[in-house]
Amino acid sequence: MKSFVARTKAAFGNQQVLLLTVLVLMVAFFTWRNSVFFSTSVFGNILSDWSPVVLIAIGETFVIISGGIDLSVGSTVGVSGVVGALAMEHLTTHNFGQNLTLFLGFLATVGTGLIVGTINALMITKAKVVPFIATLVTMGAGAGLSIVFTGGDPIAGGPAKAISLSVPDFGPFSRPGLVVVLIISILGLYMHKARFGRYTFAIGSNAFAARAAGINVNRHLAKVYILSSILASLAGYYYYLRLGSGAPTSGQGGELQAIAAVVIGGAALSGGVGNFFGTVLGALVLTTVTSGLIIINVAANWDQVAVAILIAAAVLLQQYRTRVRK
Amino acid sequence: MSVTRNRVAAGLALVAAGSLAVFGLATPAQAASKKLTIAFVMGAEADPFFKAMKVGATAEAAAKGVNLVWQGNPSVYSPATQIPIAQQVLATKPSGLVLIPTDPTALQTIADSAIKAGIPTVNVDTHVNDLSKVTAFITGDNADGGAKAADAIASAIKYQAGQTYQVAVGLTSATATTNVARLAGFKAQVAAKYPGIQIVDTEYSQSQPSVADTNVSNWLTKYPNLAGIFAIDGTNASGAAAALQAKGLVGKIALVGYDAYPANVKLLQAGVFSALIAQNPAAEAKLAIDDLVAKLTKSPAAKSIKHDVVIPNVVLTSATSAADFAKYTYVA
Repeated sequence: MKSFVARTKAAFGNQQVLLLTVLVLMVAFFTWRNSVFFSTSVFGNILSDWSPVVLIAIGETFVIISGGIDLSVGSTVGVSGVVGALAMEHLTTHNFGQNLTLFLGFLATVGTGLIVGTINALMITKAKVVPFIATLVTMGAGAGLSIVFTGGDPIAGGPAKAISLSVPDFGPFSRPGLVVVLIISILGLYMHKARFGRYTFAIGSNAFAARAAGINVNRHLAKVYILSSILASLAGYYYYLRLGSGAPTSGQGGELQAIAAVVIGGAALSGGVGNFFGTVLGALVLTTVTSGLIIINVAANWDQVAVAILIAAAVLLQQYRTRVRK
Repeated sequence: MSVTRNRVAAGLALVAAGSLAVFGLATPAQAASKKLTIAFVMGAEADPFFKAMKVGATAEAAAKGVNLVWQGNPSVYSPATQIPIAQQVLATKPSGLVLIPTDPTALQTIADSAIKAGIPTVNVDTHVNDLSKVTAFITGDNADGGAKAADAIASAIKYQAGQTYQVAVGLTSATATTNVARLAGFKAQVAAKYPGIQIVDTEYSQSQPSVADTNVSNWLTKYPNLAGIFAIDGTNASGAAAALQAKGLVGKIALVGYDAYPANVKLLQAGVFSALIAQNPAAEAKLAIDDLVAKLTKSPAAKSIKHDVVIPNVVLTSATSAADFAKYTYVA
């Protein structure tokens, strides 16, 4: 009997198990209120919202584990998406083939992410600007530039087949969605099973000790911020495929959504703590709430309230666990 | 070497911060010259609606030989960002002010202090609470646009009395006054003429096409018999168009959008939209400048300035002439 209580306690101490329980309860609740919710079509909607969120949230998880923060990811989604869209519009008017255009547009999008990440990395590791300020600068500049580049219009006129790629033809998954799953799975291994992740945890726990242990802290942090921006630009490309156009407002507020997913997933903003599955489930919980509230006819404004409650619950749970451990 | 690199990085940071300042701040008007200066203070410069308005304003300012000052926040439509810009513009003492208030109460003091300083003020699109001292208020008729959208949906779904049809409406926020007026006009027209149309759902996009896409995708699952969608503004139109295309429902569900963004006009011509309701912001701006110039030069035309002017919205369909498309598409 005691072992059962202990086991239950241990299980509830595990944030990921709890998140999974919350998710199952949410699905049950939404299905109870409207049976349409339990369908491939709705799961497809949720997954197509989840894919860009989880991409930037995984990047943010690495950053937060390293003890930093990346506020620029939302703007990077927007600016990289419109740069790619402008490139693809230009190539299409010059009669480039659709596949080649999509590929070159991909390079332009990810290249923009690489530039933003490099600026963040230089400011943080060379100019020694604290991450909050450094990424606040690129956040503002990115949001401004995406408006400057587009004049505020969504940029369409690229390859006609872009939007057809987003059709969910593998159950609830679309082809870009499957690619996202593949990418984040590899990153999950990097986070928990490879040296890259170990270094990130070490730096976030104690940067001095990490340096003393022979880790090139600056070089590693540069990689982490560049990774975060590149993942944000992948989300920008994902939005392009989904909408058939690059909108300067895409990704707006994405940084907060990403941080929410990471925190709900059990990471600590003080660094050194974070979990791949936690973030994956955190992002899934957030996007499930969004779709679920639409399906059961709850006013959209409650979405933000529901997210706020989830964050508060996650943080309280984390503090409770820290106290229990002590 | 490392010092140089540090400088480069610091320089980059400065450039980035500087570019924010440049794009976000007002440029002073040339108040000293004898030429009249008319200042437009609008909500969000990047909004295609305001860009189309700027095209009309620039052309008319050139025609009348007046300086044009055009100021607004780059992208945020909010009184908190508009008030400092308006104050800065007033400090340069323009001859006349065209104010497009983002909030009727918050911007009242700006209108009052301009008029008190002898700067005649016109409201365009939206208005301050007290219009008594404002020279004119010129707006598009959003309620009429909503009613026209109801007619367009009814025609696209081949409405027949006795049948029922499910229609959903995508809005941007619960508080945007244009959205509220369009929805009211839409609902009133449905109630009066199309009792078989049920408005089954409304959702908010927060000005993001991807959020609108999510909303519409979920409607398509939730209402398998959905007959039509009214996307109440440009971002909802973009998102709804994407969702219908991705689900292969183009032509099966009537989509009526708002605002003739170039991308939306292309989708209308491709058959994704059944109709687009367009405003005429350039005409609003032209009239605002004409009124102010007449008043400032004390020309005989000043006596015939109309205080309240409503410029009707127009319906664009695939049958619209190329000339009208050219006239009503919001140009960049």
